[in-house]
Amino acid sequence: MTKPSSFSLRGRKALVAIKDERDASIVRRQFERLGIDIVTWDGDAHIDCRPDVTLIDDEFLPLASPAQRTSLGRSPVIALLGTETPSRLKLVLELDPASFLVKPLRSAGIYAALVLAFERSERTNELKQQVLKLEQRLRSRRVVLAAVLQVMHTHALAEPAAFALIRRAAMEQRKTIEEISAEITANGSLPRATG
Amino acid sequence: MTKPSIPVGIICSQHGPYQAMGRELLKSSMMAVDEINSQDGFDFSISAHVRDPRGVVSEYHTACDDLIRNVGVEHIVGCYTSASRKQVLPIVERTDRLLWHPARYEGFECSDNVIYVGASPNHNVLPLVRYVLDNLSREIFCVGSNYVWSWETNRVTRELATAAGGRILAERLLELGESAVGHIVDEIVRRRPPVVFNTLVGSSSYDFIRAFHAATTAAGLNIPMVSCSLCEPELKIVGPASAGCITSSAYFESIRLPENRAFVARWKARYGEHSSPSVDGQSAYVAVYLLARALQRAGTSDIGEVRRAAAGHRYNSPQGPVWIDGSNNHCVLTPRLAVSNAEGQFDIFWEADAPVKPDPYLTQLDVAASPARDATSPNAPHLRVVK
Repeated sequence: MTKPSSFSLRGRKALVAIKDERDASIVRRQFERLGIDIVTWDGDAHIDCRPDVTLIDDEFLPLASPAQRTSLGRSPVIALLGTETPSRLKLVLELDPASFLVKPLRSAGIYAALVLAFERSERTNELKQQVLKLEQRLRSRRVVLAAVLQVMHTHALAEPAAFALIRRAAMEQRKTIEEISAEITANGSLPRATG
Repeated sequence: MTKPSIPVGIICSQHGPYQAMGRELLKSSMMAVDEINSQDGFDFSISAHVRDPRGVVSEYHTACDDLIRNVGVEHIVGCYTSASRKQVLPIVERTDRLLWHPARYEGFECSDNVIYVGASPNHNVLPLVRYVLDNLSREIFCVGSNYVWSWETNRVTRELATAAGGRILAERLLELGESAVGHIVDEIVRRRPPVVFNTLVGSSSYDFIRAFHAATTAAGLNIPMVSCSLCEPELKIVGPASAGCITSSAYFESIRLPENRAFVARWKARYGEHSSPSVDGQSAYVAVYLLARALQRAGTSDIGEVRRAAAGHRYNSPQGPVWIDGSNNHCVLTPRLAVSNAEGQFDIFWEADAPVKPDPYLTQLDVAASPARDATSPNAPHLRVVK
């Protein structure tokens, strides 16, 4: 499936929590122009929707419960700042916002904040996936090391040659080096070459 | 009895790199003002206060500030480039005035203190690029001025071309007012692209068109050029080299509507038989009329009342019916495509069936739904490597 462009916002759903009616009406008008659906939230009730983005007024901070924090963490957050004091920014940072707007709001800036939030969230998710993958590979380094030592011992090879042999076996069998290393340590020998 | 007079600011550059267009805006605005002041249907007259920022961006801020602070205007007609509009925007928003902006622009803005009378990107860029992709080529060579109009137009062109299996062959940008176009023309002659998209503005565009025409003619090449800003006064400035440019616009002098025939006749009576109105000039004329009709309907110059009175009311203008979409303050217009001829006019070959709603944020744009993807199109999509 093609991932939606961060520049095209039509059909996205936003959870909006804004205290000031003037700011809220500016957001409603701009979201209508952009084709974004709005679900409003008054800060008290349980959040029972899965929005694509959340706009939250800093006046709702700190959040009433950890459950609310978890719910908001599922989508990128845009913080609406009424003041730039460190005490307030500290509360905002707890939400790990992907973007922000300064109150009183104008129509200008809202589109850019949304695009930045979606793009930031997308890139952060990609980085998280990459970190997971790297962590997994790091954990399996021990297995690779054991396999290299085993091949060095059984084939009387130096470390670079032993690793090259394992890598070639992995390529031939279309497996990762980590997978083939696990097989070597389990079987006690290099798997037979195919083809 | 003397009618009450309402002061209106008019800001347009009559000097500098786009002075030709600025003068067109002023001529059309003043024609509308004089017409309105002579009509019994309006129970007020407009007193026009003209300012010339000379194409200097910071001067727009000064002119706007002077008009609001010293003249006390609530309504301003004018600005041409987006850079000039962005200078004026903070002042009109802070002081709650209304800017009536005539020029077509690249979109992605929606201030409550601006009425966007010119075309939105879905009115001019989309029809042109889709025409190019369906009928000329999916490989496009882009030449433009190094500012937001060209950047955004090229971005949309790239998205549509890529979705259709095509590509942008080059994106060459020149500073505003730059006349050194030779290296780009040389590259075009060397690479022979199937089509050139010209988003240059002002004198750079005129220099480029002349050099492009001379070089391609000398090389025996027939490379189509397309534009979504070229207009009749510019065809006259450029001369014979301007013929054959495929252009997208909401207004051409050749529109066959009684309102336009009458407008052109009044124009020529006022400015000379050999002069021509332009798309942005005509749009300034429409802007002044939309403002006057809204003032009349509102019975006050208060901007909130005028904005409400302006929304949704159809005006049969020279370019056909137009009205302001109250949800985004942009105008509903009829897109058209035409090709420039040797007489300095445009031959219209396509127009939308009905006026089209403005879509300043291109929220309705679905690049995948481009007709250029149609398998029956003569230009079959190229095969691409899938990574």
